[in-house]
Amino acid sequence: MVRALNLFCVALMGLTILGLYHVSEKARVAHMELNKTHRQIVAEKGAIAVLQTEWQHVANSDRVQQLAATHGMNDAASAQLSSFDQMPRRSDDTPLNGSPVHNVNAEIPATPQAQTGFQD
Amino acid sequence: MIEAPTVFQRRIVIGAGVCVAAFMLVGIRLVDVTLMRSAGTDAAAGPAMAARADLTDRNGELLARDLPVKDIYARPHEFWDKAQAAKDLAAATGADERRLLEGFNNSKHPYVLVARRITPDAEARVMHLGLPGLEFEPASKRYYPDGRIAAQVMGVTDPDNNGVSGLEMGLQDRLRDAADGGAVATSIDARVQYILTHEVAEARKTFSAHAAGGIVMDVKTGEVIAMTSQPDFDPNQRKLEDGDSTRNIMAQDVYELGSVFKIFSFTLAFEDHTLKSLDEVFPIGQGYKIGKYTIHEAEHMPATLMARDILAQSSNIGTTQIALRSGGARQREFLTSLGLLSPLKTMLPETARPLFPGANWGMIETATVSFGHGISVSPLSFLTAAATVVNGGRRITPTFIRQPPGTDNRGAQVIKPETSEQMRDLLRYVVTNGTGRKADIPGYDVGGKTGSAQVPGPNGRYLAHALRTSFFAVFPVHNPRYVVFVLMDQPHGTKETGGFALAAYTAVPAAAHVVARIAPLLGVPNVPPPAKLADGRP
Repeated sequence: MVRALNLFCVALMGLTILGLYHVSEKARVAHMELNKTHRQIVAEKGAIAVLQTEWQHVANSDRVQQLAATHGMNDAASAQLSSFDQMPRRSDDTPLNGSPVHNVNAEIPATPQAQTGFQD
Repeated sequence: MIEAPTVFQRRIVIGAGVCVAAFMLVGIRLVDVTLMRSAGTDAAAGPAMAARADLTDRNGELLARDLPVKDIYARPHEFWDKAQAAKDLAAATGADERRLLEGFNNSKHPYVLVARRITPDAEARVMHLGLPGLEFEPASKRYYPDGRIAAQVMGVTDPDNNGVSGLEMGLQDRLRDAADGGAVATSIDARVQYILTHEVAEARKTFSAHAAGGIVMDVKTGEVIAMTSQPDFDPNQRKLEDGDSTRNIMAQDVYELGSVFKIFSFTLAFEDHTLKSLDEVFPIGQGYKIGKYTIHEAEHMPATLMARDILAQSSNIGTTQIALRSGGARQREFLTSLGLLSPLKTMLPETARPLFPGANWGMIETATVSFGHGISVSPLSFLTAAATVVNGGRRITPTFIRQPPGTDNRGAQVIKPETSEQMRDLLRYVVTNGTGRKADIPGYDVGGKTGSAQVPGPNGRYLAHALRTSFFAVFPVHNPRYVVFVLMDQPHGTKETGGFALAAYTAVPAAAHVVARIAPLLGVPNVPPPAKLADGRP
């Protein structure tokens, strides 16, 4: 009985060693795959960082302004700009036709401003 | 009585012990493989590229980033033909061929640095050579996508990635702490920064000024939204081109700013109640004698002026009379309370020590300081004090870090709120009725003050026909959110200005263009100004 138990233990140990080797080998391969993926992630992140920087470079304000000037676009006058909260809503009582949209306080001078004697 | 174990029993116990030990080893190994190793792998999974975090603007736009590059080293003893290798590597990387050949022929050094921070293109060219004995060391290069736009305020790093100027140096610890994928959000708005830089550079070019600069600041948080200094430089190049300058004149230079200082003289008068009213009339005349000195006007003035017009028309004589009512000691105390007589400490390493009369602060010094001569401060220091005047009278400290929305960083009350309101009305009057008319932008109620200071020469005497012009603007003036300051060093008049180079012709239009372009971007509402000013005048 004892001998059989011993044999069973030894066999179990042998099987466990084989199983562990198998798990260990799989872990090693998985670890290699993980490292490879990690390197790819780092490389991709580096590439994304470069692309983001390149995009920032090509889309920066200076370049956009030059392109706008090339295509004959000008800055809008401040009086031409407003915000969404100042726009009339459909439910407002005020009819749009023929009525002022909102109380515009801005007036664009028709002629250049007169020079004053105050120059400091 | 217990019998001693037989030999057979002892062998069973030993066998069992060996089995237990073996299973324990197996268990420990399992724990090691399944738990310990996986934890170690996770820790190494993050990117390990950047030594410094990104610098972004307040909206997350990239301002500076570490890009992956390579340093190339060579083991010359592995080259078959050292001269040819030096020639090929020089052509591929841009390195000096003679330096490379000297290094390759020097047997004392087994390794030779071929080139630092090469781009991926250059790396591909080197790989294409197929030379043996080359090693590529991963490194990083700081890159600034916007180039010159914010060069001085961003600063640069040295080859070892240490900040040596600007925010790169001032925010060094934050950038190191947030490295590996992090970012430090600055207070700079890239759009506003571009507009300010563009307008200031255009104005400098138009008026052939030696230098020019500008700042935009939030009056409640102290956030510097934009700061520019011209001439500038390309932070992505190691060498400066002709005419470039790395100097941030707005932070590290001090100037006699001239009439913009009258803001403080009038603020002091309101604080001390030395002005009966803004309608009080002062004699101006042809000059105002103080001992052996005579104060003159820069321009012809009427015989008398009301107090409000003294500021609007920028009268030196009128301002002198108002300042002398408070006296030198009080003037010095007041300027000290505004922080104008000590170096301004910000996140920028660049700072400047103000110059002022010192112990000899007598009547003539009080007079000249009242209109911005005899005292030199940095433009950033001036703007901080002026922001305190208009923000309700509470001290602020400039910051270059983005603050959460709704933040109010205003500190101690140094000026009464009603004084601040009176000054805002008066600054609006300067724009509607005085020297700042060109800054009266439709839709935005702008307040401001001009300054046209004389420029001291190398021998201490003021240069003839040389001016330093500036304009301080606040908008919207009745509920201030932003202040703008534009400075031009020695601008020249043009045909369009009739040869005049005063602030009204040079700095004011530049500042007006800036305000008109940035106000919509910053969400400043298009609201009508109050029907009446604080003193009841329409």
